[in-house]
Amino acid sequence: MKGIFVMLLILASSVQADSPAFTSRAAIGSLNGEQIYDHICQGCHMPGGAGAIAAGTYPKLAANKKLVSWQFVALTVLNGRNGMPPFGQPVHHEQSRATHLTDAQIADVVNYVRSHFDNNFKTTVTSKQVTGLPHPTAELMGPQ
Amino acid sequence: MGNGEGSGSLSRRALLQMIGSTAGSAAMYQAMSSLGFAAESTYPGPTELPGAPKGASILILGAGMAGMTAAFELRKAGYKVQVLEYNARAGGRNWSLRGGDSYTEMGGLTQQCQFDKDLYINPGPWRIPYHHRGMMHYAKLLGVPLEPFLQVNYNAYLHSSHAFGGEPQRFREVKADYHGHVAELLAKATRQNALDASVTKEDQEMLLESLRQWGALDGNYTYVASDAVSERRGYTKNPGGGLSARPVPSKPVALGDLLGSGLWEALTNGDVFDMQTALFQPVGGMGRIGEAFGRELNPLIRYNSKVTEIHQDDTGVTVTFTDSRTAGPEQTLRADWCLCTIPLPVLAQIPMNVSQSLTSAICAVPYAAAVKVGLQFKRRFWEEDEHIFGGITYTDLPIMNIGYPNTGFQSGGKGVLLGAYMWGMNAMQFTAMTPQERVQKVVDYGSQIHPQYHKEFDNGVAVAWHRAPFTMGCFGMWTADTRSKHYDDLCQIDGRIALAGEHASFLGGWQEGAVTSALDAIGRLHTRAVAQGRA
Repeated sequence: MKGIFVMLLILASSVQADSPAFTSRAAIGSLNGEQIYDHICQGCHMPGGAGAIAAGTYPKLAANKKLVSWQFVALTVLNGRNGMPPFGQPVHHEQSRATHLTDAQIADVVNYVRSHFDNNFKTTVTSKQVTGLPHPTAELMGPQ
Repeated sequence: MGNGEGSGSLSRRALLQMIGSTAGSAAMYQAMSSLGFAAESTYPGPTELPGAPKGASILILGAGMAGMTAAFELRKAGYKVQVLEYNARAGGRNWSLRGGDSYTEMGGLTQQCQFDKDLYINPGPWRIPYHHRGMMHYAKLLGVPLEPFLQVNYNAYLHSSHAFGGEPQRFREVKADYHGHVAELLAKATRQNALDASVTKEDQEMLLESLRQWGALDGNYTYVASDAVSERRGYTKNPGGGLSARPVPSKPVALGDLLGSGLWEALTNGDVFDMQTALFQPVGGMGRIGEAFGRELNPLIRYNSKVTEIHQDDTGVTVTFTDSRTAGPEQTLRADWCLCTIPLPVLAQIPMNVSQSLTSAICAVPYAAAVKVGLQFKRRFWEEDEHIFGGITYTDLPIMNIGYPNTGFQSGGKGVLLGAYMWGMNAMQFTAMTPQERVQKVVDYGSQIHPQYHKEFDNGVAVAWHRAPFTMGCFGMWTADTRSKHYDDLCQIDGRIALAGEHASFLGGWQEGAVTSALDAIGRLHTRAVAQGRA
């Protein structure tokens, strides 16, 4: 039953890229790179990787030459950058909390961003390569 | 949060992780608080900064609680104070959205708040514990009246979509039944001599009597339907007067059902220090404090100012800024000292010549996702139909909280409630939606708890803090690791520049953290200014 539910979500979000359905915590682990972008990343980096400028800037990912380094992109997703929260699974954790993505998912979303939004980098990243990069060291604690 | 994880933190983290993965984040928060992550204010009492050097000046960046606290006290101390603020209003995260207000988030989507007159939501902070003495002090000083914030409402709901057929349960019932069953078990263990090694015989008598009282047990120390139990969990039919008076007791829920529901996780939310009665809210919205501060300091604050560079030299600090609306030509202001309260995600992108250790600290603190959604309904059905007057319903649905207005009880006309207050992955996903989608989804989810939602819904506003143009996040998230590496560096004065804000406090996410960090920082700046004279 749960599997069917996940399938339906995947179908729903694939036809509605800019209007993502909500995915339960349990099902977050099933999202692919495109879905992760639509469900999470575009909250700040905006649909289409357009970025945004206000008091500070959310970098535009579209046609962004810095994405040539997959390590740079993967490390940023894993460990965060400035105010951006880390999405890598902290070391010393036997199991993932729902706010984290697996190494395979991080590889997938890195590949997605580097091959979409007018980016056309040919190299792809594997889950194993992401696993080889430094991960966050501790859990972030939550809000009031 | 924030006091740091000591030794044994691995097992504690594992416990938190287990709770967080199986339960709602309310339980997570509760667990964090009870394990010592919550902290109290160090507010030292009214500030005195005697002997300011004649003509000394300070530039304050940000007109939120930290910046305006500092501006108020430094002006009083005799400094020449100037404040730069990105927004067109004072307050920062101290903010209320009211009917007629407009809000444009990053990405450019604008919402027009269509609430009726006097109705509002607080997109940011919404409660002030009595022991946040700095906030209490400035509210009083500014003449902002307070009213109670009802953290605990026994008639609000605890809700799990996986328990009791998805039917919300009254807080009162869950609490009475949980206490009653636990008392019965403990009484049974006592009477079966299981506690003989731990409790003397005399104390066992006292223990049994206390359990009977605490759990509303009967003469046989069992928790069963009775008048006494209904006095705790409520009646199926309430007592009244006259011929229709006779009450009908209610039946407790079985222990297994209660434990399996997970609803017990939310029972102690009001027991943690930050949430203990009394809590307050400003009459008319949290933003009344920021507005009053802004009026008080009005001549000092330059609004719509986006800081683009901060540069210090041997004799002062020069800040470059543009008009945040037009990105017009760069202007500069200069002062002897600078107190910078700019949220770290923004500050991390502003060129500033400070030490590498401070730069590293500024870049080390990710900011939390949080989303609040205000919903206006055509009538106050939660009061009229369900007799819920203020307080909070907790749910395992993505909306996580429903906050009922703690004011305007039984007033006719429309009402606004907080339809969602979410964080973590829930908040991130809602941030990725358009405001309209957020509101729609919150209405859909909330209708599982209040079936009146769809019929009575009028309009709504949704604030996703990662898209807030002036903060780019809700508050700074520290870990034990980043605290030990960077916290002191973040708070140290660097030449002529000091930082303040909730991010420079152990009261992360609380306004009191902003106030106390500002007072701490200006005290140290003042000492340095006095020591150096003006130049």
